Amino acid sequence: MTPNSPPDPQAAISIRKMSKFYGDFLALDRISIDIARGEKIVVLGPSGSGKSTFIRTLNRIEPHDSGVLMIDGAIVDETTGLTELRGAVGMVFQNYNLFPHLTVLENCTLAPRLVRRAHREATEALARQYLAQVGILEQAEKFPIALSGGQQQRVAIARALCMAPDVILFDEPTAALDPEAIKDVIGIIDTLAERGITIICVTHEMGFARHIADRVLFMDRGCLIETAPPDRFFTAPGTERAKQFLAQLIHHE
Amino acid sequence: MPRLFLLCLVAILGLAASGVVRAADRPGFLRDGTLTVCTNPTLPPMTFINGNDLSALDGFDIDLARALARYWHVAARFETMDFAGMFPSLAAGRCDLVISGVLKQRAREKLFDAVPYLESSPVVVSNGSAKPVTSFDALAGQTLAMQSGTSYAARIETINKDLVARNLPPIVIQQYPSEDQVVQQVLLGRTRNFLSQDVELFYRSAQLGDRVRVIFTPRMPDYEELAIYLRKEGQERAALTRAIDALRRDGTLERLEHKWNVGASARNALGVTTSRRRFDMPVFLSALFSRAFLKGALMTLVIALASHAMAILISLPIALKLNAPRSLWHPFLSLYVGVFRGAPTLLQLLFIWNALPQFFPIFHESWFSPFLATWICLSINESAYQVEINRAALRAIDPGQMAGGEALGMTTGQIYRHVIFPQALRVALPPTINEFISLLKTTSLASVISLQELLFVTQTQVARSFQFTEYYAAALVYYLAMVFVFLHIQKHIEKRFVWASRNGGGAHDA
Ligand SMILES: Nc1ncnc2c1ncn2[C@@H]1O[C@H](COP(=O)(O)OP(=O)(O)O)[C@@H](O)[C@H]1O
Ligand SMILES: [Mg+2]
Repeated sequence: MTPNSPPDPQAAISIRKMSKFYGDFLALDRISIDIARGEKIVVLGPSGSGKSTFIRTLNRIEPHDSGVLMIDGAIVDETTGLTELRGAVGMVFQNYNLFPHLTVLENCTLAPRLVRRAHREATEALARQYLAQVGILEQAEKFPIALSGGQQQRVAIARALCMAPDVILFDEPTAALDPEAIKDVIGIIDTLAERGITIICVTHEMGFARHIADRVLFMDRGCLIETAPPDRFFTAPGTERAKQFLAQLIHHE
Repeated sequence: MPRLFLLCLVAILGLAASGVVRAADRPGFLRDGTLTVCTNPTLPPMTFINGNDLSALDGFDIDLARALARYWHVAARFETMDFAGMFPSLAAGRCDLVISGVLKQRAREKLFDAVPYLESSPVVVSNGSAKPVTSFDALAGQTLAMQSGTSYAARIETINKDLVARNLPPIVIQQYPSEDQVVQQVLLGRTRNFLSQDVELFYRSAQLGDRVRVIFTPRMPDYEELAIYLRKEGQERAALTRAIDALRRDGTLERLEHKWNVGASARNALGVTTSRRRFDMPVFLSALFSRAFLKGALMTLVIALASHAMAILISLPIALKLNAPRSLWHPFLSLYVGVFRGAPTLLQLLFIWNALPQFFPIFHESWFSPFLATWICLSINESAYQVEINRAALRAIDPGQMAGGEALGMTTGQIYRHVIFPQALRVALPPTINEFISLLKTTSLASVISLQELLFVTQTQVARSFQFTEYYAAALVYYLAMVFVFLHIQKHIEKRFVWASRNGGGAHDA
């Protein structure tokens, strides 16, 4: 893959020279990459480097301004049906963004009912199955406010799974959690990986990155600076900025 | 035999003269087959609401209007409204005639034609123990109450100029919006004297008895005849004069003077001792449970609910637009909110009711009822306040909720409907109920455009019976009862939102 080669329709996600502006500010600067089906990607980079912006362009919550974004062989642009795109590319947020006025179960069934027009019983059965998988089936009738942070994040993952996505984007899913909960959530993401869902995860959990990532993407100031398997990235980063970043990180831990 | 023949002839001619009115003799405003009369039914015995049924207009003027309609062979229809609303309504074509115990005065005749129908006389009335006087000089420096919207005040001002010129203190003028309030000031002892017309006073003699006394009957040229007013158009005035003359000739007017006790003989009734009670419980209770008050309260509730519902519908898109990034809409919507929050609600009501028909004639057709006018006015007015509540409530929702919905493939509409609005409702509901309670009370302003809501009912009942305390108390009970119900609802609303409180965070029915 080079920035000038055509996008690869076989890849889960294929990106060429994708840029994004906020007004005059260049938030993403000509990003090019191919991500294979079932691949687990961890995105690293200092705060403000554009990691969130990058993964938000992938389900078009933030539309990109130039370049090519191809998902599952189809070009994503202003003509793309957002409902289908977002059904295929799910997302889990740092702050969970659960709907506080709906029970855990309703959080999971709302979108399938509205977007997929699926039957109530079918969506509920599916939701219970995923809630069981993330280990919080017994909380199904509660409201989010009654749950711990870790439990809420697990609901958010189950909610994303209910749309049966091919790709799930995680934006710092463990950043708001305590160490015990972090372990739980990482464990769950790990099981998704085993089931072949393509995962793109922004995180500061180095252990997590090392453990599950097929590749690490390192971003700085809107640019994708380095792409490498985790052992190589963590032991012998190829760029000066990545070295600095890692040094700072170790210093912090 | 010839005498009998002659008698028959006279009878036939008489019938032809009085009973049958030739088409040419009919005023043009009767073309629609109805005589529409504007009247302010708070002036017994001329025009008032008799009893608890709000549609039961009664009085000399009402009978006169019906007699005129019969004379012209058309149906009579009445538009009841505030005094201040009658002449604008006449000008706007909402009615054909104003018959409402209005004095024949030159200033008014510059704008409208007037046809007199009853002699009257101004009277200065004081408390029962006062001594008669012979000129306004004796009233110098004293307070004198009178009805606002009449020209009494202007007249007294010219008398005051004369008093001041002669180094006497001026008469202190106090104006009140209705005749019954004017009288009440003297009964309460707040003012020494009031200025009124004798016809009104005679009617009240039963209630007033020896508590008041006429101390002076001034000569005031502009205050000595009651007149019917009409627009200055073609030969209408002449036709109306002929009709009144005919009613005078056939004895109708005399019969009415007798029936309503407005002749000179009525004066004697004043000064007769009456018994009075401080608070008449049976009157209060019968008012409280009367159909009139119930209907008035229902009208208040319905107009408030309908207006607020519409206001919420109007305010939602405005709030959404104003919360969105700046667009071309912003200055216009801000102007809308500013204007309708800035202008007094009473002024907006009067504007919609009286000024709008002058720009757009369709607004004086009968479909544009006081209810509709009030509904439109209060909806728009309230929406300006509701916009701010909605904006604050929508801003209180975490932007992550929108992102969360979008990431699940929901459309913007679905996200608002199922995610944003249900949460914003919780934030907006308590201040919205506050607004509603305030609106419930604001509806009383619509009495000025004759909407038959609770305060309007109260005023008509007071004007008829003079029993202030009892009727005011009954109205108060209704207003308080309604407000307390909504305060109660507001207090319990928080509990409905189980999802928002940590300890209540079980299932729906926790
Ligand atoms: N909606 C926005 N409008 C303007 N600037 C934004 C917006 N979102 C993010 N940015 C800017 O874009 C840059 C990248 O932000 P982000 O993608 O959130 O970084 P990261 O997730 O790596 O911390 C930051 O400088 C941020 O201030
Ligand atoms: Mg971020």
